[in-house]
Amino acid sequence: MSGPLLEVEGLKVEFDTWDGRVRVLDGVSLSVSPGETLGIVGESGCGKSMTALAVMGLVPKPAGHVTGGAIRYRGEDLVKASDGRMRDLRGNRIAMIFQEPMTSLNPVFTVGDQIAETARLHLGLSPAEARKRAVEMLRAVHIPEAERRVAEYPHQFSGGMRQRVMIAMALACEPEVLIADEPTTALDVTVQAQIFDLLEELRAAEGTAIVLITHDMGATAEMADRVVVMYAGRKVEEGPVDAILGNPAHPYTQGLLACRPNLQLGHAAARPQLHEIPGVVPPLHLLGRGCAFADRCPRAMPRCGEAFPPAYDVGESHAAACWLLEEARAA
Amino acid sequence: MGFAAWLARRIAYAAGLLAAVAILNFSLMHLAPGDIVQTIVGEMGGASEETIAQLRKSYGLDRSFPEQLGIYLGRVATGDLGTSAYYNQPVLNLILDRVPATVLLVVAALGLAITLGTFLGVMAARFPASWLGAVVTIVALFGFSAPVFWSGLMLLLLFASVFELLPASGMYDVAQGATGIAYALDVAYHLVLPAGTLALIYLALYSRLSRASMLEVLGSDYVRTARAKGLSENKVVFKHALRNAILPVVTVAGLQLSAMLAGAVLVETVFTWPGMGQLAFESILRRDNQLILGILLLSAVLVIVGNLLTDAAYRFIDPRIKTGG
Repeated sequence: MSGPLLEVEGLKVEFDTWDGRVRVLDGVSLSVSPGETLGIVGESGCGKSMTALAVMGLVPKPAGHVTGGAIRYRGEDLVKASDGRMRDLRGNRIAMIFQEPMTSLNPVFTVGDQIAETARLHLGLSPAEARKRAVEMLRAVHIPEAERRVAEYPHQFSGGMRQRVMIAMALACEPEVLIADEPTTALDVTVQAQIFDLLEELRAAEGTAIVLITHDMGATAEMADRVVVMYAGRKVEEGPVDAILGNPAHPYTQGLLACRPNLQLGHAAARPQLHEIPGVVPPLHLLGRGCAFADRCPRAMPRCGEAFPPAYDVGESHAAACWLLEEARAA
Repeated sequence: MGFAAWLARRIAYAAGLLAAVAILNFSLMHLAPGDIVQTIVGEMGGASEETIAQLRKSYGLDRSFPEQLGIYLGRVATGDLGTSAYYNQPVLNLILDRVPATVLLVVAALGLAITLGTFLGVMAARFPASWLGAVVTIVALFGFSAPVFWSGLMLLLLFASVFELLPASGMYDVAQGATGIAYALDVAYHLVLPAGTLALIYLALYSRLSRASMLEVLGSDYVRTARAKGLSENKVVFKHALRNAILPVVTVAGLQLSAMLAGAVLVETVFTWPGMGQLAFESILRRDNQLILGILLLSAVLVIVGNLLTDAAYRFIDPRIKTGG
């Protein structure tokens, strides 16, 4: 198949809150092709996870609404799809793993039951076949003694092992798209690397398209082919991973990259001070017309507060939404 | 710990607990003013000191307290609960005649309260903005506020007197003399009002409890996972969420078994249900100490067995509970 497998275009999501209706996502567009890994990066609250939930059709109701845009899976608009159709796709063609492996598995069912449930639901397997499938999946995610562990409960697994179980569950129906929402945030660094290796291995073997949501630039560098940078519900920059990491165009992306700690040995005083972006993400109900990053931006100009900048091409499929780029072009 | 080892340990604990209950009950009865001899003498219209002393001796009341306690515990240990002074029959037989009626009443009320209460609570949590939530809140408030003897009398008035839909008292229709299935149906028909009355207060409690618990569980990560699998909302709620949400209900139900037995005394008295509660009520009026002690001990047994069943249910529902006694 040519072209993107999953395409999000101009997605708008709003929530009813005590402060009135708040726009959580404002015109987010992205796409991912088979076998590709798309990284979505940004600070907490920038709308990364909400984008994922919207794709899954799991925007929390009744407060949340998708109010505009399209989510196309193989050309079919999921925003308009029925609940039944979404249930057919969820966990089957589009699967998701979550940030919290410790609490994302149901404590009262065995891991085997939880993996088999998906296989029975979408693949129509018999209980015996589904159990075999569960053992297969546990092996595929390198859980030792799969035959024995399939009958164990989540509390008998460590955090890293639970995330493997989550991955096994998500991949039981061989989905075409896997959305991984900060899959390693709650795990030890060594375990993080193992989980990333596993995802990479599965992508290579099955050609699964992966949407990796993270705030870890290191993980992005290692895993992603392309990167979308989000801020306050909007996409601010998008491009190939090398371009984003090597030549960031948006001041926010530049700030994010500068925040990475530099591992250097030596006396504490001799080490360079860790950079931070001053300020915090503004409350969404206080967003004005202009660029949401303007208040924190070291290079903000008067016009930044007046209107949100369009995206300017800055290289091969690399674009950023910042007025500085227009200034640069004019100069 | 395996189930058998766990059970053996729990039964050993239960035996110790029963001994303590027996000692406490006997001491309390001893401390209470008045005894069976005074009742008898009262009914006789008075008696001489000599007769009273003789009577006291015949009931073993002339001995010291430790002696009496020792004799009592010795008898209980061999399964002899003594003889009722009023009925002049073995206490154990009297109680065992009444136990099935009480167990039937309590189990029916508990079953009704748990199933209906949980169902109402779950539905209220599933459709939080609907009228059902308001109904559950009102029913809960009413059921929990109304004392059981009052709500019993009101239900009695409404369904047995005003509408004449249900029988007002008793456990079966003596005139029918039915057997087999017809008898069971007749008992069930008589059971509706007393069990409903006894269930009301707990129904209210369990619906509130399961609603709160369900709301919490529905917001949990594993429910989100279940939704992400593509399961229908009914499966998410009744399979993935309910089993987690019902744990607090089971805990409270187990803890309240003793309260329910106490409530049964009132309900049995209001509806003349021939159970242990009614017997206890009458025995207290008659100062039939042996019978009261027997009933208290048997009630303790019922509560302990109920708690044992609760813990067993807990282990079954939540696989994480496998340790400790």
